[in-house]
Amino acid sequence: MKKTLFWLQCGGCGGDTWSMFNIESPNLAELFKSLDIEILWHPTLSVKSGADQRQLVADVLSGQQPLDFLCIEGAIIRGPRGTGLYDLVNGKPKKDLVAALARQAQYVIAVGTCASFGGFGTDSEIEATGMQFLKWEKGGFVGESFQSKSGQPVINLPGCPCHYDIIGGTLSLVVSGTPLKLTEHHSPAEWYNIMVHQGCTRNEYHEYRVEDKAFGEKGCMFFHLGCRGPLAHGPCNKLLWHRRSSKTRVGVPCFGCTRPDFPQPYPFFETRNIEGIPMELPEGINRAHYMAYKGMAAAAAPRRLKTRKTGI
Amino acid sequence: MTRKIEIYPLNRVEGDLEISVELEDDVVIDARSAGTMYRGFENLMVGRAPLDGLVITPRICGICSTAHLYAAASALDMLFNVDVPRQATWIRSITAMAEMLQNDLRHAFLLFMSDFTDPAYQKEPLYADMVKRYAPIEGSSVRQTIDATRGILEIISILGGQWPHSSFMVPGGVVSMPSNNELNRCAYLLNNFKQWYERQVLGCNLERWHAVQTKADLVAWLKESEAHFNSDLGFYIRFATKTGLHRIGKGHGNFISFGMPGLAAKPETAAKAGQILLTAGGFYADNQLWPMEQENITEDVSHAWFAGTDTSQHPYHGQSSPYATGSEDLRYSWAKAPRYKAIPAETGPLSEMVISSSPLFSDFMQVDGPSAFLRELARLVRAASIIPAVEGCIENAMSTPGRYYTSHGELENQQGHGLIEAPRGGLGHWVNIKDDKILSYQIITPTAWNASPRDAEGIRGPMEEALIGTRVKNPENPLEIHHVVRSFDPCLVCTVHAIDLR
Repeated sequence: MKKTLFWLQCGGCGGDTWSMFNIESPNLAELFKSLDIEILWHPTLSVKSGADQRQLVADVLSGQQPLDFLCIEGAIIRGPRGTGLYDLVNGKPKKDLVAALARQAQYVIAVGTCASFGGFGTDSEIEATGMQFLKWEKGGFVGESFQSKSGQPVINLPGCPCHYDIIGGTLSLVVSGTPLKLTEHHSPAEWYNIMVHQGCTRNEYHEYRVEDKAFGEKGCMFFHLGCRGPLAHGPCNKLLWHRRSSKTRVGVPCFGCTRPDFPQPYPFFETRNIEGIPMELPEGINRAHYMAYKGMAAAAAPRRLKTRKTGI
Repeated sequence: MTRKIEIYPLNRVEGDLEISVELEDDVVIDARSAGTMYRGFENLMVGRAPLDGLVITPRICGICSTAHLYAAASALDMLFNVDVPRQATWIRSITAMAEMLQNDLRHAFLLFMSDFTDPAYQKEPLYADMVKRYAPIEGSSVRQTIDATRGILEIISILGGQWPHSSFMVPGGVVSMPSNNELNRCAYLLNNFKQWYERQVLGCNLERWHAVQTKADLVAWLKESEAHFNSDLGFYIRFATKTGLHRIGKGHGNFISFGMPGLAAKPETAAKAGQILLTAGGFYADNQLWPMEQENITEDVSHAWFAGTDTSQHPYHGQSSPYATGSEDLRYSWAKAPRYKAIPAETGPLSEMVISSSPLFSDFMQVDGPSAFLRELARLVRAASIIPAVEGCIENAMSTPGRYYTSHGELENQQGHGLIEAPRGGLGHWVNIKDDKILSYQIITPTAWNASPRDAEGIRGPMEEALIGTRVKNPENPLEIHHVVRSFDPCLVCTVHAIDLR
């Protein structure tokens, strides 16, 4: 049966939409066709005239036009002082439209970190928040108890941008009727139950603690260059981008862009440390055991790694 | 009879844009362009570490994040006073130009042409063909464009790890160290794109296209073969002239382009010189070309929702203190008004063509002057110049081994700027540093130039000016307004709404 989708952009950059255009096998056009999803509205894809678009919104809000998927991209802007005047549509705060549409949808999907957790501007004058989380805290814009018509909370697909396979994959699973197993931050476990670190081609360097302090080298970037790979949940190094590579593979530290606290308030490209030991260790690790293991590993590091002879 | 039409939010542009025009006897006599969303990115940068601009500023824009990265890295090159190795300049240029190819073709076939599929055009003889080619998602050319642009972006994933939003450019070069195998893959991907572009978009090879140097040549080219006539470009020329796009969207006739400074600074890095458009940038007004000097750029906030004086400031001295008042007569936009020597100027592919003295576009400027038709034509054919430039940079990088990164050392300057040509035109970042932290960060985007509101003198921004004189057939569905606005490829998200003042 035909499903319907409404995509609304709020305080964001459009990067999740453009990430979605990278979908392949099937490509974007084939995907929506094979899932039999009708795009009622998407800011980049729609040709509806103003009057038709206003009628569509009215029909969705009155319930006359059923809505299966509401996709929100970008943060909900509440500033200044809760008025939402920093983001207007039709002269009215866009946040009010978001709240009204969310009540009509079978599924509400927050695409990207800004829509999921607030992202950019959570501590600024724009008073940004995610749909159902504000950083680590449940609640956000629609509140902790919100459930869409299907009984699900807002489904979070963080990432800056969200990897295109996750967007296509989530829609496919929901349409096929597969129950989505969600993590504690309401993200599908299928993609967010692994760390960005998994699959990084620099893992052998990490294993033997062969660490880099400068850009343009082959070693691990966790101890000095601020890499958050072992601290961020996401499939970057499993799915890769364009099936080709990832930031950490080419030598860009992971910035933890799937984390609820992205962007971090302290500097990127630096690992916060106490006497050379990172303040934050890979998720879930025992500090003493980790340090003993890393000490021994560094001592055991093979020459080919220490001399950067091994390719990445 | 005077009536006012408000178009908001206009769809198929990036970000939030509202246009309002005043009509007298169906002709636009006044226009206002308003950015309706404030994200406060410049203020997010204050107090942060200098390198953080590499992570935060690409996130301003989902379709030109590599351009922001390039501008941010260039400003840092200056702050750290570090020389960028030529290998790094090639990698930066390859990725920036790959993003440009993506943007130009996606804009043309996904965002611009779909306006012609509006039922208002159904009596046009080419309408059925138009829908077949450009219907959203389903259209044959649209589907091909989705695949081809995804392919060209693979180059950025190979060299930069992901697209959008990577941070592989750093002060002193790039972090990646592509092998010749990886560069070979880039060359194959570029070649795939080139073959598609020649076959589908031009209907001829690049050499034949570059022989088109006057308007008369273009007319002859169109009739020369069925391949030209039926290519996407041929189809565009036929449909757009039939619907009068060459008669609307004139504007001030002032242009600005920042060029590719990395390649311009070291002429030896510019492979296949002559085929790379514009390298140094420039400013064009009153039919005269001037060198681009960033000192002459100011931003005026007299009509924008920002607190402070109504005088204009150079971006090194500018501030962004939002001042939300809802709707007030004088202030009507979240976009400031950039000016060059107090003059508004449009930017984008057409500016690039005019400033690089492209024979074809210079001839068109002489014969017909600027128009919505010419603006979109520039965007459609720019790839013919970019592709050889990217080829040259890949060849250079493969044949010249060397380092991709020079250690950037310590901060040496307290002020730095990075001005580059982004897909939509000139993009600048201006940074002040104090105590090793960012004191201020001002960004002027191409759309800030094009969609600028009025300045203190009351002079309209380029897009506002381009709307003046446009005849609107049906005020309930003002397609002509859409064509003019979209010919600027504004990066701001929008729907159409009409208020009848009668």
